[in-house]
Amino acid sequence: MDQDPAVPWQEPAPVVLGVAEISGIISDALDDERLQEIWIRGEITSYKHHHSGHRYFSLSEQVSGRNYAIKCIMWQSRAQGLDFEPRDGLVVIALGSVQVYEARGDLGFYVQEMLPAGAGEKHLLVEKWKKELAAEGLFAEERKRPLPAFPARVGVVTARTGAVLQDILNVIGRRFPIEIVLSPTAVQGDLAHVEIARAVRILDGQVEVIIVARGGGSFDDLFPFNHPEVVRAIACCCTPVVSAVGHEVDHVLADLAADRRAPTPSAAAELVVPDRAEVAREVGGSLDRMRNALEKKVQAAGLLIEDLKSRLQPRRIGRRINDSREEVSEIEEDLNRAILAKIERGRGELGRLVALLEGRSPATILSRGYCIAEKDGRVVRAAGDLRTGDRVRLRMSGGRADTRIEKVYHE
Amino acid sequence: MSRKFEEMLEELKEVVKKMEDPDTGLDESIALYEKGAALIRECERKLADAELKVTEVTEK
Repeated sequence: MDQDPAVPWQEPAPVVLGVAEISGIISDALDDERLQEIWIRGEITSYKHHHSGHRYFSLSEQVSGRNYAIKCIMWQSRAQGLDFEPRDGLVVIALGSVQVYEARGDLGFYVQEMLPAGAGEKHLLVEKWKKELAAEGLFAEERKRPLPAFPARVGVVTARTGAVLQDILNVIGRRFPIEIVLSPTAVQGDLAHVEIARAVRILDGQVEVIIVARGGGSFDDLFPFNHPEVVRAIACCCTPVVSAVGHEVDHVLADLAADRRAPTPSAAAELVVPDRAEVAREVGGSLDRMRNALEKKVQAAGLLIEDLKSRLQPRRIGRRINDSREEVSEIEEDLNRAILAKIERGRGELGRLVALLEGRSPATILSRGYCIAEKDGRVVRAAGDLRTGDRVRLRMSGGRADTRIEKVYHE
Repeated sequence: MSRKFEEMLEELKEVVKKMEDPDTGLDESIALYEKGAALIRECERKLADAELKVTEVTEK
């Protein structure tokens, strides 16, 4: 903007922000990781359970005689997850973020999760252990080993007395009775984790599979099975381990380190031994399968023999000889026919020749009135053959006549 | 129950598999059948003899 040179210098007008703008600045200022997704410990005061389901309260703390408080809001959707009823005076830990509700300018701690302080802190401890132990690789899937199919000795880590051991003995006794080696231990109490870890280590290598079991109980009761000492003992165990702690819904860190997790001790017992009746059925089934296979082979061999036999039968050889014979006789007939035809042809020719010959025979000539003169048994062919006085026989039709030559005339 | 049972069961499975192979001859099949039948008898004996025994661990 151009300053009018005629107007004397003035202080610039103060900057005026809009409410939305300042709300934005506050929001930005709160966007600090020290204020987001944090756990706060404090005593509940001014607790209100609104009919909408939302919870409004303060978390307070007194330090050196001074009171500190922060307003908290827990929406109904989050409050649904509470497993205790908050009330004034209760010390809790709460997870949430500090935010400003811009429509009203309320600054508060928006709570996502809240737990009573003692148990809550144990939960947090478990979460911390879980992260650390996972980082060590103790829960890695590739560490998991298969359980033996038919263990001869099963180790059990649990209390000497109580339903858990009985359940395991009953199930194994019913399914597939074998040797069970108990490694007794306390399963709850401040030092239980030390005992459990020791009980696992003692069994390692003495059995083929280990069940670490405990019956149902509160989070506190099951707490030793979250302890890193127990988790490490299980993870470092050379023998495969099945964990069965509490009920189906209970999860402890020992489960994550074990090779298999069973929902209950009875289920663990079922996991480690097969059902004897089922195995017996399988074994029996093998016999049937072997019989079938053998029968099939015998049948196939029989069929083969039958086939070979039929191909070797004399009847078939006879037939083959007959076939050959027939062929020979056919050839014979063909030959005969050919020869006869030839003979026939020859005969015809002969007739013709005979007729021809007959036309030239002396008798035929004589019958025409000729004579044949013979001297000394030879035909007289020329006048030169004769001398006066020669005796000459004349052959003529109807007989012969002997004559004497009177005179020979040469022409 | 011992590890041997598992091995016997594996061997039995092999025997059956081999017998069901159409390339296996009759003579061999008969020999396999005898072997398999003996394995089955032994397996069944072991199954029948299985007994629950509970001991407590002794310190190493």
